[in-house]
Amino acid sequence: MSVEPAVADPPRRHSRIDYWRIGWIWLALTILLVLFSIWVPTRLMGPPASPTMRAVESTMRVFSIAASPVAALVWAVAIYSLIRWKSKGRPTEDGPAVRGYGPVTITWAAVSTVLCVFLLIWGLAEMTSVTSAAEASNPLVVNVTGQQWVWTFSYPDEGNVESDQLYLPLNRPVVFHVTSKDVIHSFWVVQMGIKVDANPGVTTKTSVTPDKLGTFDVRCAELCGLRHADMETAAHVVNPADFTTWIAQNGGHT
Amino acid sequence: MTAAVISQPAQPHQPAAAGGGLMRRLNVGTAVAGGVILGLIGWLVAHSLLQDDDHGSDQVVLVTLTCWAVGFMIGIGAFNGPIGWALGRDLRREDELFLAGKDQGISRYFRFTTDHKVVGIQYLVVTMVLFALGGTLAMLIRTNLISPHSHFLNPQTYNAIVGLHGLIMIVATIIMVTGPFGNFIMPIMIGARDMAFPRLNALSLWLIVAAIPTLLSAAVLGGIPTGWVGYAPLADQAPPGMDSYSVFIIIFAVSSAVAGANITTTVLTMRARGMSWNRTPIFVYGTVASVGLAIPAFPMFMASQILLQVDRTQGGQFFVASGGGSPWLYANLFWLMGHPEVYVILIPALAALMELTPVFSRKPLFSFNAAVISIAGIVGLSVMVWAHHMYASGWAPDLNGPFMLTTEMISVPTGLLFLVILGTVWRGRVWTTVPMMATYAMLWNFIIGGVTGIYLSDVPADYALHGSMFVTAHFHYTLMGAGLTGAIGALAYWFPKMTGRMMNERAGYISFWLVQIGFNVTFMGMFAVGLAGQPRRVVTYAHLFATGNLVSTIGAYTIGIGMLVLLYAVISSWRHGDRAPANPWGGKTLEWTVPNPIPLENFEVMPVVTSDFYGYGEEPSTGADGEDAREPVHAGAPAGPAAAVVAAAPVEGEL
Amino acid sequence: MIVGGVAAVAITGFVLSTAGATPGLLKATVNGTADTAQGQLPHAFLNLATYPDSEAGEHGADGGAHPDWVSYGPTSNFEVPAHSLVTITIDQYDGGETITNPFFAKVRGTVDGTMTVDGKTMTEADPDAIGHTFTIHALPTNQDPLFVSVPLPAVSDDAPEVEGTDYPAPHVVTFSFITGGKGEYVWNCEFPCGDGYYAKFGGPMSTQGYMSGNINVV
Repeated sequence: MSVEPAVADPPRRHSRIDYWRIGWIWLALTILLVLFSIWVPTRLMGPPASPTMRAVESTMRVFSIAASPVAALVWAVAIYSLIRWKSKGRPTEDGPAVRGYGPVTITWAAVSTVLCVFLLIWGLAEMTSVTSAAEASNPLVVNVTGQQWVWTFSYPDEGNVESDQLYLPLNRPVVFHVTSKDVIHSFWVVQMGIKVDANPGVTTKTSVTPDKLGTFDVRCAELCGLRHADMETAAHVVNPADFTTWIAQNGGHT
Repeated sequence: MTAAVISQPAQPHQPAAAGGGLMRRLNVGTAVAGGVILGLIGWLVAHSLLQDDDHGSDQVVLVTLTCWAVGFMIGIGAFNGPIGWALGRDLRREDELFLAGKDQGISRYFRFTTDHKVVGIQYLVVTMVLFALGGTLAMLIRTNLISPHSHFLNPQTYNAIVGLHGLIMIVATIIMVTGPFGNFIMPIMIGARDMAFPRLNALSLWLIVAAIPTLLSAAVLGGIPTGWVGYAPLADQAPPGMDSYSVFIIIFAVSSAVAGANITTTVLTMRARGMSWNRTPIFVYGTVASVGLAIPAFPMFMASQILLQVDRTQGGQFFVASGGGSPWLYANLFWLMGHPEVYVILIPALAALMELTPVFSRKPLFSFNAAVISIAGIVGLSVMVWAHHMYASGWAPDLNGPFMLTTEMISVPTGLLFLVILGTVWRGRVWTTVPMMATYAMLWNFIIGGVTGIYLSDVPADYALHGSMFVTAHFHYTLMGAGLTGAIGALAYWFPKMTGRMMNERAGYISFWLVQIGFNVTFMGMFAVGLAGQPRRVVTYAHLFATGNLVSTIGAYTIGIGMLVLLYAVISSWRHGDRAPANPWGGKTLEWTVPNPIPLENFEVMPVVTSDFYGYGEEPSTGADGEDAREPVHAGAPAGPAAAVVAAAPVEGEL
Repeated sequence: MIVGGVAAVAITGFVLSTAGATPGLLKATVNGTADTAQGQLPHAFLNLATYPDSEAGEHGADGGAHPDWVSYGPTSNFEVPAHSLVTITIDQYDGGETITNPFFAKVRGTVDGTMTVDGKTMTEADPDAIGHTFTIHALPTNQDPLFVSVPLPAVSDDAPEVEGTDYPAPHVVTFSFITGGKGEYVWNCEFPCGDGYYAKFGGPMSTQGYMSGNINVV
């Protein structure tokens, strides 16, 4: 298609100093971004309450670290060009007539392809690991029903105990059977990193193994009308003995 | 006079196809009158016939809004041509010149004018009005979210505003580059005298103008409670404002199809002699890629709204699970449009930045082939990624892996576009004008938008982040940080050519910094609350998110002030800025060879292209003073027989 | 351009003005104290009603924009004191049918898990004859949890109208619950009664001032 490279860039030697300076900027930016990647996203996401959330947080960390040198390179060249190659006002001459440099383009494409393959493999491995809870024997089954604008829960194997808040025993795999009475809602246990839509007429599944005691947030993540913002409740992860007590108090049996 | 008629027996007196007196007085005023009259008639008829039906109110709204749109298009004169043909009349040269707005001064901007430059300006104004509307709504949203329980808006108003803001902004960003610059600049850039189908060009513009009031009518019809996506079955349940949404989308889809066919045909058939594909500027590629992608995408959206209207007005069950339908059908149709659509927005904005970067770096575009291949790659992949919006929907979980693959593959061609720009500024003579600063802002913002997109492409991470403010922040970084920034760069770059005046540089810089700093503050705050678990589209939220939201609101006001400064810069410079020379930036593309103001058919003599337009540094430097004798184009080529033919031939067909 | 600016301002004002004013506020009246499981607490009272139309509540005698929509009255915006026993009495004038989600046929979150209907103590209503529910819920974070849901039994469709009114004799439903600290909660009806809308949850169910409102604990 085009003529490439039409004119070689003769004074390549002169630019060696440019490479070094850009290299330093790149290194500094990379270090800053890696530090940011290690600390900031996972701190914002808060302590994980399940292996799934732990996997998500490590993904965020690893992807951020992997992206750091790439972002740093783009920004380093951009910043450097604004310092070193900035023209004071209207340029009085043209730059070198470089129409392309095949090796750079090929390297760039190859590196981004390698990164892309890495992301994919990482993602597939992670998908396999977070879905394994569903296959555990003897999971606790919880039916989750979304109705504008309240979540309700029932425990079919525990005598159909019903509740407006979610109670889960520690360290036991849970499978949620999620459906909706009306529009699409999205069942989201924030600190456990699980989410699946509640669709009218079908049952979707998601699973998790809570491994942290405490009270966590259940939110609706799909705009569902007037009170969408208030379609929230609490998820309590309790010791198995306390869970049994709670079930019994509510007229059920384990 | 009589003698003249007699001497031309083959040309009997023929009434003007564009009509006589009345037909020539049609303008936006008669269009509104036509729309109101026909809308009222439609309302009266529908109200008396349909009111008692179960779906009566929706039917009345549908009929009324459709009648408004048809009446508006009659009133603007959109049907004069087809009616003329039906009556066996053809356009005379003077009709064509009249339609093109010859010698009509400012009034041609308020009429069904076919001149592509007029249409471009009209698109620019429509885009700015839409941004003003959508931006005002954004300020209302952010004001409401300034504290967890601000009660500034009640939940119903809030939901309506969220939906309207989203849809207005999406439409504004879709047309913001291909509308103003694709219509005004692109035909000149390829050396054409107008678009291939000038009347379709005017049609596409006026369809959007007709459609905007239908969308705004949602505000008084109960609002759009669904957000801009219009997800069913919430849309089945929604008040009649949802019908406004459907009618708007259907008209807009027709408009985009018309515009897409027109721009594609223009580029395929009307490039100047010698403008082979490897000499065609990258902006032209970007424009064609964008509208070409819109051609298959928007019919999906239109189909979804037709099905929705069957549900709403006829009791259909397309999206009603209990009636055998499926909400997933809507989601699939929507995202089959929705994901190509983000590239409809992004590609032309990035292409405009790639077009102006060589000018302000005084270097050829780095690796033109890679740029073209990347655009093609993005176009190809973008139609295969839609279900990454549905990872958490429960629809086909087995497809999550393949969609993760295609989604992550898009990062390869997108990454190459960064290389093209970095390679172009590399050792260039970087002239940091406002348009060039837009390129740098895009490099900053789009990296953040892209990396956060990679988190969302990962299935487990998306389970955690989907439906949260993180997603909102991510797509604002791409559509606003890269897309709108690119469009503002394009506006600053082509402003001298489109208005004949230089844009106020000082105000431009002030606006640039306010907008970019405000933007990053706003959406960094939004990333933070999204990671912490704040859902999207909530009118109230837990105190845990208070700080991040306050930061976002402060940033949003900063953007708002910056945009007002930009608006001031545009209006004041347009009215009394310094007169611009024909080529103020020293660009090499064809639009800089025509004088200001641009004559009606752009070129006195049709240009012949002998090289591409990126030959910076390959010929003695020009110093970019606008008086460059070494243009790569022999615009005033000696009038050899071939050139004469080229110059004379298109007159009939092109107006 | 100026036209555009004016249009932007006009539309914004229009949106704000037409999107529904916040309904009037009804404050609970505190009358003495009550002995509860949490000790002696102020006792607050609220009297509400549910109607098969909108002609008896805050929408005026002509029913406002949607006279045929079911509604709560006298308003939909309530205020109750914190750390109190709140007794709500609802005069239920509307008919009904089978509830879609049996969860809401049971009394939940009240003192002892009971309500009284026309003087009789009940823990649940017949799921096949429910008119509405009164269900309070909200953001669980940063405020004390408060979840109260009471089914309101339907008035029989062939019940005669009481002379001098447009309505049959109501079921009188009374229930009490204990509030925690201050907070902002919402309530809505969980019995799908928006006839003519998908899932019967549009119209009055999805419009503030009919079957949904705010309840603030102050």
